[in-house]
Amino acid sequence: MTSGPIRRHRAEATAAALVFIAGLLGGACSWAQEQAAGWSLEKLMRDLGQVQSAKARFVERKYLKVLNAPLELRGTLTYSAPGRLEKRTHTPKPETLTLDGDKLTIENQARRESRSLRLQDYPVLRAFIESIRSTLSGDIQALERFYRVELEGVPAQWRLYLVPRDQEMRTVISLIRIGGSRDRVDLIEVNEANGDRSVMKVYKEDR
Amino acid sequence: MTSTGRLAIGVWLAFVAACIFVIARTQFSTDLAAFLPRSPMPAQQILVDELRDGVVSRLILIGIESAPQDRLAAVSRGLAARLGQDARLAYVANGAQDRLRADGEFLLRNRYLLSAAVAPEHFSVAGLRAALERQLDLLGSPASVLVGPLLPRDPTGEFLHLLEQLREEGGPDKHGDVWFARDGSRALLVAQTRAPGFDLDAQEQAHAAIHAAFEQAAREHRVDGARLLLSGPGVFAVNARAGIKQDALRFSLIATILVSAVLLIAYHSVRVLGLTLVPVASGVLAGIAAVSLAFGSVHGVTLGFGATLIGEAVDYAIYLFTNTAPGSPPQAALKRIWPTLRLGVLTSVLGCAAMLFSGFPGLAQLGLFSIAGLVTAAAVTRWVLPELVPHGYSVRAVDTLAPGLLRLIARGRVLRIPVIATVLVLAVWLALQGGTPWNDELSGLSPVSASDKRMDEALRNDLGAPDVRQLIVVKGESEQAALETAERVGVVLAGLQSGGLLAGYDSPARYLPSVAAQHARQRAIPDAEKLRRDLAQAAAGLPFRAGVFAPFVEDAQTAKRHPALMRADLHGTALALKLEALLAQRRSQWFAMLPLRGVADAAALEAEIARFGPQGVVLLDLKRESDALYQGYRTRVLKVALLGAAAIALLLAAALRSLRRAWEVLAPLAAAVIVTVAILIAGGDRLNIFHVVALLLVIGVGSNYTLFFERRNMANATPERTVTSLLFCNLSTVIGFGVIGFASTPVLSAIGSTVAIGAFLSLVFAAILTEKSERKEKREKRKG
Repeated sequence: MTSGPIRRHRAEATAAALVFIAGLLGGACSWAQEQAAGWSLEKLMRDLGQVQSAKARFVERKYLKVLNAPLELRGTLTYSAPGRLEKRTHTPKPETLTLDGDKLTIENQARRESRSLRLQDYPVLRAFIESIRSTLSGDIQALERFYRVELEGVPAQWRLYLVPRDQEMRTVISLIRIGGSRDRVDLIEVNEANGDRSVMKVYKEDR
Repeated sequence: MTSTGRLAIGVWLAFVAACIFVIARTQFSTDLAAFLPRSPMPAQQILVDELRDGVVSRLILIGIESAPQDRLAAVSRGLAARLGQDARLAYVANGAQDRLRADGEFLLRNRYLLSAAVAPEHFSVAGLRAALERQLDLLGSPASVLVGPLLPRDPTGEFLHLLEQLREEGGPDKHGDVWFARDGSRALLVAQTRAPGFDLDAQEQAHAAIHAAFEQAAREHRVDGARLLLSGPGVFAVNARAGIKQDALRFSLIATILVSAVLLIAYHSVRVLGLTLVPVASGVLAGIAAVSLAFGSVHGVTLGFGATLIGEAVDYAIYLFTNTAPGSPPQAALKRIWPTLRLGVLTSVLGCAAMLFSGFPGLAQLGLFSIAGLVTAAAVTRWVLPELVPHGYSVRAVDTLAPGLLRLIARGRVLRIPVIATVLVLAVWLALQGGTPWNDELSGLSPVSASDKRMDEALRNDLGAPDVRQLIVVKGESEQAALETAERVGVVLAGLQSGGLLAGYDSPARYLPSVAAQHARQRAIPDAEKLRRDLAQAAAGLPFRAGVFAPFVEDAQTAKRHPALMRADLHGTALALKLEALLAQRRSQWFAMLPLRGVADAAALEAEIARFGPQGVVLLDLKRESDALYQGYRTRVLKVALLGAAAIALLLAAALRSLRRAWEVLAPLAAAVIVTVAILIAGGDRLNIFHVVALLLVIGVGSNYTLFFERRNMANATPERTVTSLLFCNLSTVIGFGVIGFASTPVLSAIGSTVAIGAFLSLVFAAILTEKSERKEKREKRKG
C-alpha cells in the first residue's frame, strides 16, 4: 500500500475541488434555500456568536480631509469570545490596541506609552467600538442598542449596515458597513459625518 | 391661702407663661459642631467650618435597589430628570450626563487659558512638530473619530489635555448609561443641596423632595418595591435630630409614666402626684427658655438632657411631701428640710456651673439648662408647692416602709469595710487602665447610628468616592493669592505624584487658574505671523493638507487677546461647582483646598509642604485633626469637671463648717463615682464626654442623699420620713435615668445608664459609709 498517502492526497484534493464546486453551485442555489429556511440577522448573529476565537491580518485605509494622502495601516486582529479584541498595528508605527470588557488600552511602542481608558467615559468611542465587537460576538442586543441594523446579501456574502440611533453619535459617524462571509468578517467601513472614511479589509491569517 | 402664697403663685404663673412665650420662638438645632470648641487651632477651625457648611456637608449619596437592573436604570433617569428641575438642589448626577461634555464648547473656547500644559515650548517649531506627529498617530487609531473633527482647530491637542486634566479618575461602573454598584444591584446618584449642611430644615426639605421624586419616578416606570437609600452628612444630621427628638420624647414619656406609677403607689393621691411634676415641668421650661435667650437656639442634645432633669428635680417635691408629718402643714417640713435641700441644690448648681464656663457652646448649653432648671424647680418647691398641697396631707407609706428600711441600714453598716476595700481595689484597677477607657474619636460623639454609617460606607465604596482623609489647605488674603499659592503647591504635588509618592490630588486652580497663570499662558502664544511660519516649518514632510490649520492660528490669537477668566465666567458649568467646593471665603480670608489621594509617604509630603512655611499652607489629616480636636475637648471637659468637684467640696466644707463633715458627705459620692466608672468600663463602654457630664450629675443627685443622711438627726426629723423620702427619690431617679439608658442615641444612653448606676450606688454607699450619727454625737459629747 505504498500509494496510500498519494491516493489519500489525491482524494483530499478531489474532495476539496468538489466542495469548491459545490460551493459555487450552492452559492447560486442556496440563496433561495436559505431564504426559505429563514436566514436572517438573528441566524447570522448566532453563527458569528459561535466563533470562539479568530485571528486575521488587516489593511486599513483612512481617507481623511485633513490629509493629502490616505493613511494606510497594516497589522493583525485577534478576537476571543466574548469581549476581547486586540488590534496590533505593524506599519507605519507599531501600536497595540487591546479591548477587554470595558477597558481599552492603547500601547504605543515607539513612544513607550501605555494608556487605559474606560469606554463608559467615552460614549462615542464606545458606540463605535461596540459596532465591531458586538458583531464579532453576535450580540444582537448590544448592536441594536446603538444602531439601526440592516442586513443585505446571502450567507456567503453579507453586508450589515449600521446607522447610529443616538443623535449626537450621528454627528460623528453616519454609517458603518460591515461585510463578511458566513461566520467571518472581512470588511469594516466607517463613514464619518464630516466626510472622512476608513476602510478596513480583513484577511484570513495564513497558517 | 396667705397673701404671700397668692403672690408666689402669681409670680410662678407669669414666669411659666413667659417661658412658654420664649420657647414658642425657639430654634432647635442638632449641629454636631455646636459641641466643638469655639476657638480651636486655625486648621481645626477650617475643619469645623467644613463640617458645618462646606460643600462636603451638602452632599447626598443616593442608591436605588431591589428591582431588576433595567428598571433601576429607568427610575434613576426619571429621578435625575425630576431633581434636575428642583431649585433646592445645586445639581444631581447619575452618570448619564457627562458634565464635561456639556461644558465642551466652553472648555474648547477657553482651552488656552485653562490648560496647565500651555507653555512656550508648545509653540516652538520642535514642539509643534512633536504635536503634529502625535496627531498623526492618533488619526491611525480609533480615537480618530474624536480627534479628527477637532484637528484643524487644535493640532497641539490642548483640548484633550484639558479634558484629561479635568476628568475625574475612577468613578462608578455603568450599566446602560447610569451609575451602578459593582455588582449591579444598586443604581447610584449623587446630589448636592443648595442649603448648607447645618440648615437642617432646608436639608430635610431637600430629602423630602428626593423621596417624592423617587416615588413619582417609580410609579411612572411601574417599579414596585424599589427602595431608596439616602446618605451623607445632611442626611445623618436630619436623622439624628429626628432620632434625638423621638428618643427624648419616647423615653421621657416612659420614664414619666413609670415614675408616676411608683409615686402614685407611695402617695395614694393623684393630685399630689400631679404636684410632684410641677417643679420638674417648671424647671424644664425655664431651662429651655434660658438657653434660648442666651444662645439664640437650643441644641437637640440639650433638649434630650432636659428629659433627664426629671430625675433630679422630681426629688425636691418628694422630699417635701414625704417629710410632711401627719397633722402638720408642709411649711413645717420645709422649714426642717430646706437648709439641706438648699445646700443640695447649690452643690448641683456648682457642678453645672463648671460646664457653663467650659468654653464649648454645646456643653455651656447643658450647664445653663441645668442651672436654670434646678434653681426654678427648687424655688417652685419652696414657695409654690406648699400652697397647693391638700390640707392635712401626709404620706402614709412611711409607716409601712420605714421600720424595715431602718433595720436594713443598721445591718448594712456591717458592709463598711468590704465596701471600702472594694472601692480601693477598683480605684487601683482604674488607675492601671491608663488612657484606654477613653473613646478618643470624634465619631464616638456622633449621634449617627451604626447602620447609617455602614450604609454610607457601602454607598461611598460603590461610588468610588472614599472619604477624603488628607488635604492641603492654602490660605490667602485674596482669591488670587490663594489660587497662586495653590498653583505653586500643585507643582510640588505633581512632582510627588510622578515620583509615586501620591496617587493624585485636586486643586481649585485646575478649574480657575490664577490671573497670573492665565497671563503667562497668553504670553506663551506667539503672534499670528510667527505661528503660521513655525507651523509650516513643523508640518514639512507630513501628509497634512496645506492651510488646514488656519482655524488653529485664529483660535490661538483670540485666546491671546481674551481677558483672563474670572469666577463669574465659570457660572453654570461643572467647573463652577468644583471651584465652589475647593475655594471658599471665610472671615475675609480665602481658603483653597487641595484634597489628596493615596498618600504613600506622609512624612515626605509634610516635609515638602513645610517649605511653604506654616503661615499659608497646612497639611490637614482630617481624621487625626478631628480626633485631636476631640481629645483636647475631652481633656478640657475633664478639667472643668474636676474643678466643679473641687468647688463642690469647698462649698460643702464652708456650709457645714467642718472638713470632716464635708468628707462624710463626699466620700460615699467619690466611692459611687469610682464604682460606676468601673462598672461602665467592665461592661465594655468607652467613656466619652457625655459620661463625664453624667458623673457630674451623679454628684449633684447623690449629694442630696448624703446630706440628708449626714443631717438625719441634726435636723430633728423623724428618721423614718427621711429614709423613706430617700428611697422614693432614688427609685424615681434610677427608673427615670435607667429608662433613658436604653435610648438608641449615644448621648442619651450614656447619660442615662451612668446616672442610674451612680445614683443607686450613691444611696447605698451613703447608707453604708455615713457614720452612725448617734455614735458621732456620743463621741462629740465625750470630747465636750
